[in-house]
Amino acid sequence: MSYRLGVDIGGTFTDFALFNAARNEMFIHKQLTTSDDPSRAVLEGSTYLLARKGVAMAELESISHGTTLVTNAVIERRGARTGMLTTEGFRDVLDMARETRYDLFDLRLKFPAPLVPRNLRREVAERVKFDGTVDRELDLDAVRSAISELVDLGIEALAICFLHSYANPAHEKAARELAEREFPDLYISTSADIFSNMREYERWTTATVNAYTQPLFDRYLQRLTDGLAADGFTGRLLVMTSSGGMLAPEAARRYPVRALESGPAAGALMSAFHGRALKIPNLLSFDMGGTTAKGALVNDYQPLKQYDMEIARLHDFKRGSGLPVKVPVIDMVEIGSGGGSLAEVDERGLIRVGPRSAGADPGPACYGKGGKAAALTDANLVLGYLDAEFFLGGDMKLDVAAARAAIKSSVATPLSVTVERAAWGMYEIINEDVARAFRIHASERGFDYRSASMVAFGGSGPVQAMAVARKLKIPRVVFPAGAGVMSAFGLLASPLAFELARSELCTVAALDAKSFATGFRTMEEEASYLLREAGVETADIRLRHRLDMRYQGQGYEIEVALPDSSSLAEIFKDLPKLFLKTYASTFSSSSLDEPLEIVTWKVEALGPEASLSDGFSLESASDSGNALKGSRQAYFTDRYYDCPVYERGLLTPDMEVIGPALIEERESTCVIGPGDVVRVDARRNLIVELGDQQ
Amino acid sequence: MSGTEGNLDAISLGIMWDRLISITDEIVSTLVRTSFSTIVREAYDLTAVVTDAEGHLLAQGRWSAPPFIGTAPLTMAHTMAKFPPESLKPGDVLATNDPWMGTGHMYDITVMRPVFRGETLVGYTMSITHLPDIGGAGFGTTATEIYHEGLRLPLCKLVREGQVDEFLLELIAANVRVPEQVIGDVMANVACNEVGGRQVLEFMEEYNLDSLAELSGAIRSQSERMTREAILEIRDGTYRNKIRIEGIDDAITLACCVEVDGDNVRINMDGTDPVVRRGINVPFCYTNAMALYSMKCLTVPSLPNNEGSTKPVQVSAPKGCILNAQPPSPTGGRHIIGHFVSPLIFGALAEAAPERVQADTGMIDLVNFVGTHKNGRGVSTIYFCAGGFGALRNHDGPPTVPGPSNMAVVPTEVWEGVTSTLVEKRALLPDSGGAGEARGGLGQEIIIRNDSGHPMTIFSMANRSEFPPVGLLGGENGPLRQHRVNDEVIHPKGQQVLAPGDRVTLREPGGGGFGAAQDRPREKVLADVENGFVTAEGALRDYGVKVEG
Repeated sequence: MSYRLGVDIGGTFTDFALFNAARNEMFIHKQLTTSDDPSRAVLEGSTYLLARKGVAMAELESISHGTTLVTNAVIERRGARTGMLTTEGFRDVLDMARETRYDLFDLRLKFPAPLVPRNLRREVAERVKFDGTVDRELDLDAVRSAISELVDLGIEALAICFLHSYANPAHEKAARELAEREFPDLYISTSADIFSNMREYERWTTATVNAYTQPLFDRYLQRLTDGLAADGFTGRLLVMTSSGGMLAPEAARRYPVRALESGPAAGALMSAFHGRALKIPNLLSFDMGGTTAKGALVNDYQPLKQYDMEIARLHDFKRGSGLPVKVPVIDMVEIGSGGGSLAEVDERGLIRVGPRSAGADPGPACYGKGGKAAALTDANLVLGYLDAEFFLGGDMKLDVAAARAAIKSSVATPLSVTVERAAWGMYEIINEDVARAFRIHASERGFDYRSASMVAFGGSGPVQAMAVARKLKIPRVVFPAGAGVMSAFGLLASPLAFELARSELCTVAALDAKSFATGFRTMEEEASYLLREAGVETADIRLRHRLDMRYQGQGYEIEVALPDSSSLAEIFKDLPKLFLKTYASTFSSSSLDEPLEIVTWKVEALGPEASLSDGFSLESASDSGNALKGSRQAYFTDRYYDCPVYERGLLTPDMEVIGPALIEERESTCVIGPGDVVRVDARRNLIVELGDQQ
Repeated sequence: MSGTEGNLDAISLGIMWDRLISITDEIVSTLVRTSFSTIVREAYDLTAVVTDAEGHLLAQGRWSAPPFIGTAPLTMAHTMAKFPPESLKPGDVLATNDPWMGTGHMYDITVMRPVFRGETLVGYTMSITHLPDIGGAGFGTTATEIYHEGLRLPLCKLVREGQVDEFLLELIAANVRVPEQVIGDVMANVACNEVGGRQVLEFMEEYNLDSLAELSGAIRSQSERMTREAILEIRDGTYRNKIRIEGIDDAITLACCVEVDGDNVRINMDGTDPVVRRGINVPFCYTNAMALYSMKCLTVPSLPNNEGSTKPVQVSAPKGCILNAQPPSPTGGRHIIGHFVSPLIFGALAEAAPERVQADTGMIDLVNFVGTHKNGRGVSTIYFCAGGFGALRNHDGPPTVPGPSNMAVVPTEVWEGVTSTLVEKRALLPDSGGAGEARGGLGQEIIIRNDSGHPMTIFSMANRSEFPPVGLLGGENGPLRQHRVNDEVIHPKGQQVLAPGDRVTLREPGGGGFGAAQDRPREKVLADVENGFVTAEGALRDYGVKVEG
């Protein structure tokens, strides 16, 4: 029983990573996602990989699973017909949203339609006040008749959303109990149960996302567990959350919204893992695929987290044009740049690349599937970074002539430049876009990227990474081994974890050490319960505490992480000091003479670290054979260079390569610029120092 | 286009232009992160700019409040006249809050820093933020002269070769109510310009540039060309519009004449009423900026801001009219009047650019609540809510969206905690969107009950209570704004005391409609009825659509 399997379902591919802890060996597999029923590819791929290695299903200790299923269901509006109960007087909160514009100049604003249409929302008489006291008792008869009406209208899921339920969830709970009792077929979500925090629009929207995706996710997990059981799997199935922890299937079914973006989260987690193995505490995690790129920051070996994300943005990835979801997430910036990003002449009369994307079908022009517009992949082919004969290890031939024709007609001719120059422009525009996203993301968080290193992965990440690093003046880039399936590795490096929060406003002065510790207790028990349910021993559960605090009167809070080392009673004494330290590092400014307030209390329960020890070896690697497999022309800045081409799997530890060079693996190509220095480390990661040429 | 001028090809221009915008974005994010006041952090009432050595604006942060797109070049011109390049040294920082040189009122501080490459001045960075206080009578419209409105800081060297002028800081601190926050924000401006300057130098080094002049010329001429191309699509002619709006005391007339002549636009404000003795007068810099903003919305909204894109548009206003106020007219609330420049110009150009103009928005409503919290602490806070957005051709206005100013609503759950009032209702008003081929966005009704146990005074300054949001090209108007206390309609401007248990009702107008209502497709009307945005009676009355059952 020493095998563990990580499975990441992406939009195009499902990735598998099988880890043998006893021998520190990793085996990988990749196959097309089966969009109609994603569990099919998971079952097929698992069976295939296990059979290839002669491992029986029963030998698997666990399967860790990440998926974009939930996100895609929202983007493609494939969720359940969902109803909603709200406090009387507040049926329209979802339509009214935040009463703000995300763009000041474009008057044709597009906001996403609420997941629950107005005619499927019902008000019920009840009211809780901000301090949790009841202004008006819940009318259970009204609850009953409202649900009954909605059921007649064909709802399958129900979101119960009352004001101030974070302060007192009794009415939401009572309505839920009635619904569960009298309408047992309904899937039910209550807003304070999903993630308890203040601000009704965001909390309620989060609850509707949960309700909307619950039936679909539940059925999916059922098919998957049944299928795995039929194949003889007896281990634990775990589902990755957006915050980089694992959930047991029971909890995942209850909180599908927690599984949003779990694949990308796993990638960021894996970057942090490499940071620990390489002793690099501060990192930029750069993941670029076919349609988007994702950036995350790793600070002191931990990916930064936040409690806010936006999905299904309607307007060019603009912040504010999507649906807000408030759950713990790895703090990622999403950029509309990927291999499929299309070039066009923009409103300035110059080129823009993305966020429009060629997708997988027809794909970039060079795929030869009828695409006429020029995509980034076409540019990378013309620049010589990609090999027409060795794309996806040679499984797919690329059409250079089609790529050139597309770039010529979409960019070169309209802008009166050569095809090479146009291709270089597309490449550089994407690099600038990615660099900008990182700069802004980092500077908003006070993170000094200049001293950091970058970890680059995904199908397109390694092609762009060195150029992006150069723009950011980041001295070093790590191309981890198996960069094409990073998220699947990340799934194996993540512990069971669950985080809860509770908004309860109080001044620090009104607390003492005892009441402070008591304030956390219920949440500690509840979070630990979910882990015990998943089989973690009580003794193995670690608890982390965080507080959102502010000066009284301020409209915004900062998160203060409490040290694990000391008792809550001792921490209470130091609370003002801890706050000041965080405050100074966030605002780089002095303190105010105002009382301190706690706004939100958070507890995270974590199981034992899921260790990949300090690394692993990949089966594709080999010490025999000549890594140098040829050469080809590749364009940098203003001309073509003659570049040696290496087979990544044959590069052995301690080898050194000086750029320009192209290092190919099945899923991607590492593009090394003139003067950059590549070193292969013991785990066959490529560590590249930025050269001072160019 | 077919190639650009000079030695820069379209590829280099595109890449370098993007980088300059990226630099201004980074200045903005540094500013937001380091400032104290919520108005900067949450309302993004700020901007950041990079100029060339001659002070031409060539890039501006994407998140900039509309008025700032037009004020920066004028501020730079004043600055360079007073502090010519030879009087500047590396490490100097200049600042002013003069309404006529800056942004129209003294709350905004403009901070500029020359960027030196070695000994050569190669450009400037600039940031502007709205300060939490500037002394005087406080934020409001009660002043009758500019001297009542607080501290006016002439253009000055705030930092000399890296040394902050401590006297100036003391002077500011001594004149404002929340000195720590104000000084904190001023210093955040200084810090973000330092970041910006460093970034500009790194950029020049990376691209091997000795000067920004050529790049600046290319960016501006390219933007000018794209704007001119868009102006050519607006039908030539002379277009007039006159609107009546609510002042503090009497109604005020704003008038404009827009001449579209090939690829040029000239706007003048002839016929606009004179200044008033209230802090709502508008210095010309702000009028100019709002006019340029409106033209940008109508031409190439997504074009990055720079001086080139505004060059084809010339704006003027008669001296002494309320849109060209002279000292010592008070200007603290210049946005209250200035925001109407947008609907004024959109209305004028409705026939000439029907695909681009927007019917009137319901605009925002700000009600100040002053009293005592249930917990004994003082309460002084503003409730903000938006009317509906105006419709555009084939584009229904979204509900409850502010315009032209932008803010975000205070969530009910936050509001009740801050004030100990209770919001009984916050709901869309069916049928409040002006009818039209495209419907105006819905307004809303809010009922707030005073649960604090103490009397609470509300101050309101509501517009659109006499003159509704106007529909365009046959679209219907939205309704009027209305405030009530315990079901009695109250004066929308002024103060009222809410006794414990009293209720105030705010009825926010929907936006104006666009195009004739009978041209609205039947299925859209039926969908609106199904969702309750339009009632069955409304469908019959406004659209002639009979709903079965």
